[in-house]
Amino acid sequence: MLECGEIMSKILIIEDDQIISKELEKLLTNSGYQVSILKNFQDSLNEFLKISPDLILLDINIPYINGEVLLKKLRNYSDVPVIMVTSINSQIDEALSISYGADDYITKPYNPNILLLRISAVLKRINKNSNLLNYKDLKINLKKGIITKGIIEIYLTKNEMIIFSYLLNNQNRIVTRDELMTDLWNNNEFINDNALTVNISRLRNKLNEIGYKNIIETRKGQGYILL
Amino acid sequence: MKLKYYLKDKLFEITCFFISIVMILLILFAFKINYQVIISIISISIITYLSLLLFDYFKKERFYTDLLANIETLDKSYLVLETLNKPEFYEGELLVSAVYEINKSMNENINMIETHLKDFKEYIEMWIHEVKIPLATLTLISNNQQCDKKIKRELKRLEDCVEQVLYYARSENAEKDYLIKETDLSKTIKNIGLKNMDNLIENKINYIVENINIKVLTDSKWLEFILGQIINNSIKYKRKIKNSYIKISVKEDDDKTTLIVEDNGIGIKKSDLKQVFDKSFTGENGRNVNKSTGMGLYIAKNMCEKLGHKIEIESVYNEYTKVYITFAKNKYYDVLK
Repeated sequence: MLECGEIMSKILIIEDDQIISKELEKLLTNSGYQVSILKNFQDSLNEFLKISPDLILLDINIPYINGEVLLKKLRNYSDVPVIMVTSINSQIDEALSISYGADDYITKPYNPNILLLRISAVLKRINKNSNLLNYKDLKINLKKGIITKGIIEIYLTKNEMIIFSYLLNNQNRIVTRDELMTDLWNNNEFINDNALTVNISRLRNKLNEIGYKNIIETRKGQGYILL
Repeated sequence: MKLKYYLKDKLFEITCFFISIVMILLILFAFKINYQVIISIISISIITYLSLLLFDYFKKERFYTDLLANIETLDKSYLVLETLNKPEFYEGELLVSAVYEINKSMNENINMIETHLKDFKEYIEMWIHEVKIPLATLTLISNNQQCDKKIKRELKRLEDCVEQVLYYARSENAEKDYLIKETDLSKTIKNIGLKNMDNLIENKINYIVENINIKVLTDSKWLEFILGQIINNSIKYKRKIKNSYIKISVKEDDDKTTLIVEDNGIGIKKSDLKQVFDKSFTGENGRNVNKSTGMGLYIAKNMCEKLGHKIEIESVYNEYTKVYITFAKNKYYDVLK
């Protein structure tokens, strides 16, 4: 991430189950985030101020203080984006959390790919500059679906753009087909396995046309990586 | 209370009275008493007796007619005692106090059962939240270690089973566990798609969503569960053909919005169609597929009823199944907005 000029977002995990915390840390680190785990629940607020994260994953059921109460207190000091994590799946609790100032609400057991999407969606909402991206000497306009190289413009379909921007946002690592599929479905493009393959090969062809041959590499059995 | 039956009930008493009158007559005749005196004695006795009888009848008639009529009209007939005037005769008082005692003991009994049920429901909910933590851990581990898809699939099944228990407990309970809000249908449909994505792709079922940018009044979590059951069924009962699909569309009318979930699966036999919402009904499909509990649609129907939605199924065997969920539009809500 640092190579392509972006700053690694720091995520604070507030969760009392140690195994989940560890696995979450692994998942998020693999996805290119910097992760801290809250250790001292008795003084969670000060601990938070010390770490000053870009986003918090906050479990509702934590010792000493209820997650919702902590969120309420937190909001007196900071507007940091907060995603509430809970095993209680009810609209009433969700509405309550949102009213306390949570940015999103996700229930256990969550699909890891969906969790990653929600995190990046919340972060994107905060850094509003994400409509324009750069890759080498290419300028990418997400909203219009256009890639510009000098005076040459190529047009991507919605699906191709979703795939390309996902690869671009995760440039330093291998992206699985599952992740790409989840992102497509999350954008209301409910395509099947074949269609994903077709879309990727079309995207490759288009990039080929402007001289970027083989920049999307297939890693067998794992996924794709943007070089 | 009818006079005829009242008199029938009093037949013995009335017979005794007239026998005694006859005996008095005989005695009076034996003593050769003046006819006029005899007539007045006899008529006074008869009139007095008959008026007492009628007085008693009307007193009881008023009480019992009220009692029966109120039982008939009351929605909760066990509350009938509260609606009655105090009876002015001993038997009535006995009856009222007996019924009162019976009611009291029955209420205590019901209270006890309700408390048990509530405790049980609370325990089930707590247990479900508890069991979701290791489930979440396992899901994360299986993802981090890039485990076999089979493990993920079984974890998803486990999760679905747990979720079903949770919503069963919620839907069977008298307490209000839901929150009706304006809900974006497209978001709900997307969430269900994402939840079942692996399963749909693996089974090569196309998830087709037509333009459904419509808002309805519902509890989004409950609706997600209901639709999840329907989608699950569509996946479970798919036909072995090339072009399997689940198509979701919306029909809008002035007073209602109808969500239609259509699949081209094995369908439901006509003889089974009426019973698909019955508890524990699995039908022919369930027997063939062997993964059916017969609870999904039953819970879904229950929840729809609570939320005030209508749910219907239309199907042709070996062709298609269509599920319709109808949401009422609330004009009052529009005004409030």
